[in-house]
Amino acid sequence: MVEVEAAISSGLPRTTMVGLPDAALYEARDRCRASMASTGFGWPSDPVTINLSPATLPKAGSHYDLAIAAAVAAAGRKFDPAALEGLALFGELGLDGRVRTVRGLLPAILSAAGRGFARVVVPAGQMREASLVDGVEVFGAGDLADLFDVLTGGEGATLPPPAEEPAQERARLDLADVAGQLEGKWALEVAAAGRHHLYLHGPPGAGKTLLAERLPGLLPDLEVSEALEVSAVHSLVGANLDGGLVRRPPYADPHHSASIASLVGGGARIALPGAVSRAHRGVLFLDEAPEFSPRVMEALRVPLESGRIVLGRSMATAVYPARFQLVLAANPCPCGMAGTPGGGCRCAPMAVRRYASRVSGPILDRIDIHQQLRPVKAAFLRHGQEPAESTAVVAERVRAARDRQRRRLDGSGWRTNGEVPGPALRKRLPLPEGAEILDAAVARGRLSARGVDKVLRLAWTVADLAGADRPGREHLHTALAMRRGESGTEAA
Amino acid sequence: MDERLARMSLAAVVEPGHPAVAEAVAAYGAEAVWASVREQPADVPLAVRARRVVPEELVARTRAAGLRFVVPDDEEWPAALADLAGGEPVNELSGEPLGLWVGGGGHLGELCSSSVAIVGSRASTAYGDTVAADLGAELSEGGRSIVSGGAYGIDAAAHRGCLAGRTPTVAVLAGGLDQPYPAGHRPLFERIAERGAIVSELAPGEHPTRVRFLARNRLIAALAPGTVLVEAAARSGARNTVTWANALARVVMAVPGPVGSATSFTPHRLIREAEAVLVTGATDVLELLSPLGRASPRTPGEHRATDDLDGVELRVFEAVPGRGALPAGEVALRAGITLPRCLAALDRLAEEGFLAQDLHGQWHLPHRTPHRAR
Repeated sequence: MVEVEAAISSGLPRTTMVGLPDAALYEARDRCRASMASTGFGWPSDPVTINLSPATLPKAGSHYDLAIAAAVAAAGRKFDPAALEGLALFGELGLDGRVRTVRGLLPAILSAAGRGFARVVVPAGQMREASLVDGVEVFGAGDLADLFDVLTGGEGATLPPPAEEPAQERARLDLADVAGQLEGKWALEVAAAGRHHLYLHGPPGAGKTLLAERLPGLLPDLEVSEALEVSAVHSLVGANLDGGLVRRPPYADPHHSASIASLVGGGARIALPGAVSRAHRGVLFLDEAPEFSPRVMEALRVPLESGRIVLGRSMATAVYPARFQLVLAANPCPCGMAGTPGGGCRCAPMAVRRYASRVSGPILDRIDIHQQLRPVKAAFLRHGQEPAESTAVVAERVRAARDRQRRRLDGSGWRTNGEVPGPALRKRLPLPEGAEILDAAVARGRLSARGVDKVLRLAWTVADLAGADRPGREHLHTALAMRRGESGTEAA
Repeated sequence: MDERLARMSLAAVVEPGHPAVAEAVAAYGAEAVWASVREQPADVPLAVRARRVVPEELVARTRAAGLRFVVPDDEEWPAALADLAGGEPVNELSGEPLGLWVGGGGHLGELCSSSVAIVGSRASTAYGDTVAADLGAELSEGGRSIVSGGAYGIDAAAHRGCLAGRTPTVAVLAGGLDQPYPAGHRPLFERIAERGAIVSELAPGEHPTRVRFLARNRLIAALAPGTVLVEAAARSGARNTVTWANALARVVMAVPGPVGSATSFTPHRLIREAEAVLVTGATDVLELLSPLGRASPRTPGEHRATDDLDGVELRVFEAVPGRGALPAGEVALRAGITLPRCLAALDRLAEEGFLAQDLHGQWHLPHRTPHRAR
């Protein structure tokens, strides 16, 4: 929170601003002066000193305009300065006195509310976003007149009518539209239920993207606390929150040419959230995973581990949440046709091997499900005529499975099977009935110790989907089957 | 002259299986009988032959041939031979032998106590040879030694099978062991003698005759607790062994053969007339010869690998096509079960080797059908 002060002294007209403003903020001086003058509120003809405190903290952004205008007006005794008690102001001024919207309003107001500010003035266009925060009285300002109305005891701008319902594009993607791909859909269902990271393998046109973009639709609505986190991040990157809090899990699918900064977040002096944070509590889909630069992929390791990303910059260190569900997709080789009957792959055998191994072990270690997809055959298109399960039906099963997990993991800090680390799986939870199957699989070299954890995790989710209290042999075998055939990509 | 020398001398002059002499020896002792035989008038053929025998020469020839003469009081003497005393004669032959010339490193009594006799035609077919050799080998693996003759055909096949196993084998011959008959089997006899035994009732230098073969058959039948007939035509010496074995209350078994084959005649007839029990392999033989309650459990009928699959596994297995491969989803559709259950069954089937998965995760039959261990 930055406190804005203004002092009017005597001498030649001059306006100075102190307190380490950046270029955009320094221009606020001219914006405010022009805006106040043009709307008739006037700008003092004496020297004005504007101080942003604490003075040592570098400040950036255009949202101080309203506060500066109010401070200068208060210094000129245009209204009773007591009206500024416990008031936080956000907004950028236009030269005609209009108040423009600003980025990151929601987290800013959350922070203000946390520090005891009971009233806020925000741009009229962002009143809905601001009113998402409980315990704060929100005043809207469409222009400077509204601002001074509020400062003199008025109501300010009225709440604008709700905007058109923002197009819920993702929600329209229905699982029933995917023809065939029964195993792919099953893998997706398990991934959604247990929040397991998923790796889809298959040639071009097999439906990897089709499936991945339907994953958010299977996930349950965000809880209120989650929704606030997600909305705050989205507000920072300039999303329109007029529709209210983000209640659906977000989806981010950065292109494989993405830089580290765009993926994990970045910026010159204060880092902005990247794709991993935009996918917080949602799905991060990396299509053509082997095409991503290895350095970019490695940057995912920390957020995968800790669920957040710490970005240190010259001015400040920003911590953004980044607890996302990772979905990778990859072709079998650079040309994509390796192993497809009649596909005619033109890649050298070594190139195929290299391609498959480009995603590093530490990333693969976090991935519980590998699913092979094949191009849809004519026969599958016929199956497509048969009624396939809709997203709503599958999402209901996922929700029931999530409920079971929440009850079981209550008080542990984890919400889903996919988050439970290996030792806790083996010690904190009861072992599945028939777990000796896994010992046998290890003895035969079919599973590594880490593989055992993954199978256990999957078995719990399979059992949750089946409504069982504890996994049995059947569920273990199902989990094992879901890890079959991946030896080419990972020593399981 | 001691008892052993007297028995050896008598055995050298009396045709094997002479009931009267055996009874006399049992009643008065060998020394008395030998003395009495030598004192018979010259018109008694036995007396003439007896007077020609020089016992010391007999001992020397026995020793020269690397043989030993075993008599009933010896520790090595097979106790089972006592059953021959006092029984009904077959072909006018009967009686416990006076003694046996034995060659080879094996302990005759021990070898015979857990043995199986395999007998059959000299003019055997390839089928019979295979069955006899397999029986010999499998019974040997089952801890049994084999007792048989030394003839071509089934006898030789049974010995060879047993020699391939882990137990020694016993060959009972109808002539002197210094010149074992048939001469073509000398290498086989040498191998048998390494750890097993070759046995004869006849003194070194004696030649086999028709009646001596018949007498030899009673020894084979008596030595082994059970006798298996593999192949025999309508008229066969092996038929005679079976008659002896039945007379001695031994377990008699017969292996069936092709109905059109002449060598299947006797086994089939014996089975039909309840003189023999049908056996098809070593498992059957071992079961018949095991003490009551000790036989290894038998698997009824042919065991198919898929017999052990449960209903769901079987449906999934049947849903995978004989040629080509299918993804799990399609298999589940064909089997009519849910995908998670199908995946579980597929995993179990793959674990047992019934199915395999290709690079694309599709399921197909493995390249070779597995044979589950019984």
